[in-house]
Amino acid sequence: MNEQNYRKGGYFRDLGRALVKGDIWVKLSTLLMGAGYFARKQIINGILMTLVEVVFIVLCVFYAAPNLAKFGTLGTVQLEQTFDPVTMQSTMNDYDNSFLILLNSVIALFIIVVFVLFYIHNIKTVYTLQVRKEKGLHINSFSEDLRALTNEKFHITLLTLPAIGVILMNILPILVLVAVAFTNYDQNHMPPNALFTWVGFRNFKNLFTNSITVTFGYAFKKVLGWTLIWAVFATATTFIGGILLAKLINSKTTKWPKFWRTLFIIAIAVPQFVTLLLVRNFFADNGIVNTICTNIGLTGFLQNIGLVSKSLTYIPFLTSPGWAKFTIIIINIWVGIPYQMLIATGVLMNIPEDQIESAKIDGASPFQIFWKITMPYILFIQGPALITDFVKNINNFNVIYLLTQDVFVTKDQLLANSNAKEVDLLVTWLFRLTNEYYNYKMASVIGIIVFIICAVFTLLSFTRLIRGNREEDFR
Amino acid sequence: MKHPIRDFFKHVLLTILAVIWLIPILWLFVTAFSGYKGINTAHFFPDSWSLDNFKQILIRPDSVVQYGVWFKNTLIIAIFSCLISTIFVVMVSYAMSAMRFNGRKQIMSGSIILNMFPGPLLMIAIYFILKSLGLTNSHLGMIIVYSAGSGLGFLIVKGFMDTIPASLREAARLEGASEAKIFTSVVVPLCKPIIVYQIISSFLIPWGDFVFAKLMLNSGISTDWTVAIGLYNMLNKSLINKYFSVFCAGGLLISIPISILFVLMQKCYVEGVTGGAVKG
Repeated sequence: MNEQNYRKGGYFRDLGRALVKGDIWVKLSTLLMGAGYFARKQIINGILMTLVEVVFIVLCVFYAAPNLAKFGTLGTVQLEQTFDPVTMQSTMNDYDNSFLILLNSVIALFIIVVFVLFYIHNIKTVYTLQVRKEKGLHINSFSEDLRALTNEKFHITLLTLPAIGVILMNILPILVLVAVAFTNYDQNHMPPNALFTWVGFRNFKNLFTNSITVTFGYAFKKVLGWTLIWAVFATATTFIGGILLAKLINSKTTKWPKFWRTLFIIAIAVPQFVTLLLVRNFFADNGIVNTICTNIGLTGFLQNIGLVSKSLTYIPFLTSPGWAKFTIIIINIWVGIPYQMLIATGVLMNIPEDQIESAKIDGASPFQIFWKITMPYILFIQGPALITDFVKNINNFNVIYLLTQDVFVTKDQLLANSNAKEVDLLVTWLFRLTNEYYNYKMASVIGIIVFIICAVFTLLSFTRLIRGNREEDFR
Repeated sequence: MKHPIRDFFKHVLLTILAVIWLIPILWLFVTAFSGYKGINTAHFFPDSWSLDNFKQILIRPDSVVQYGVWFKNTLIIAIFSCLISTIFVVMVSYAMSAMRFNGRKQIMSGSIILNMFPGPLLMIAIYFILKSLGLTNSHLGMIIVYSAGSGLGFLIVKGFMDTIPASLREAARLEGASEAKIFTSVVVPLCKPIIVYQIISSFLIPWGDFVFAKLMLNSGISTDWTVAIGLYNMLNKSLINKYFSVFCAGGLLISIPISILFVLMQKCYVEGVTGGAVKG
């Protein structure tokens, strides 16, 4: 129980106590990290800690310092090639690569922060060792420390590798993304041939500016608007559709529910990029659907009521802004409903029967039961998942990209100036900005904006996600 | 109370819906067997039937169609990334579910937020990080892309592990088993259905992913590609009229194993979630 007492108090109060009450060895540990271990005869621990310190110092001198020195300017020496007529070879000067400086600086800063945390933790550990020794408690040998890693400290063993992966794939990229948003990294400033540098909040300002040269303000408003409309429609239609389909299939009077369910699952089991690319050709301007529509006179009818322009001989399913948005939502219903049906099936199975029974006895119609009992119950269970779906739809790259890339061409000059299209979501716009136009600065800004939007919605749902699970039920 | 007419219409409605949902799949199927290489825009069913598209894909690779190589590439990437992600996810799930340590809740909340951070947004940065490590246009790079961050997706497996009674672990501990031993010999065997679910779902990712692969394997050398990019490339404006049926045949071939795995995965998921482990 004694150990518990040392844990009490704030993070910094613990550190302060360790530094004030610690003996000479603890104090020495602030310089030589292994010192405290040597004093308690934990020789191997001491050597390891000192080694960590040495490695860190070497990293600082040879990696962090040279990069961080240029972090303020992101490099000043432009690439120059000099041709040597004697050797017939061109040599390059010792140029600065702005992106590598940025990336390495971010990594270096990250390592420094992690080291500082580790360093503080070390001082506290060393102090704990001192206290244990003073009280005559057992001090682990190195092999006992190792064994603890498969026992009470097993979580460290389990989490180390996955954590490194997450740092590499999630945390560092986020930090780099944020940093690039404050630079002028674009097609005119591409390392290694050119340098880029810090520009403060200029890119953020550009995103909300509307002028003759900068049309990002206009494009951003349009794309954001469509992104939100899309996310609402895509989430709502598939959610409701999925519940209705699940009700239809699972109703007691429906024969062969498994057979029907399998039919719908087949449609989503085929990889999405295959079906979406296929459907896109299905609905092409000169595609099969248009042939059929012309044959049965639908195209003519739509022309007569003004939904299709007279100058066209086909229905522009994926080529005019209005039609494309409509078609995309419809196709997404096709893609999304079977998934939602599967989820809804699980939820419907767990609906408390007694409530429905008693409602029936009270004379409620099936319609009333659905809206007054089933729907509220599903919404209660699925509420957080609904928000998660909404966030996923904001970032539904696949559906939009695979359906419209190379097919939809915008006629809106203001949008085209910002490399956006009417049917773009923020993510597809961002992807095109980077992949085709190398406009990394604006893409990063858009990325940050999307993150903020998603984070707000996520925060709404995640408190319930954590609280709502049955973590402690069986403990 | 029986409503024969209503039941009849219910089944008619289901039939109509099923037909709508299966039309594109049917189109994929019949076009794959078409004797005509481009898109048949006049008729739903092909005018002539042939197996040539499959022959072209399986036996006669050309500069555009390297299906065998793509399949092998995707398979290698899928196997390794599935192994790594499954191990990561199971490890993280156990730490979060069975162990109690300082900062656990904070790590969990942080992971949920990080996991919500959409992949496409980070792609550029990931691309540059891997590029500076020299890992773009390499399968190792793809494996890292698909598996390194997978530890964040622990919610489903952790939820399953939460249903394993703590008393089981307690009993093992009393018999002197270490935490590692409990993990490998008590908990993991009990989690079989959900682990199978995890294995299949992470195995399927490289087959369906298109964006990351397109960004990372951008050298233009078709023997580096995965199936998804290879098939997408066939629908290039200059190629589509010669390769659309071949695309359908390729899509159909890949869909068969994927669909089977997908259905299997759904089954495991339902088993895992509804069946639970040994409750009580």
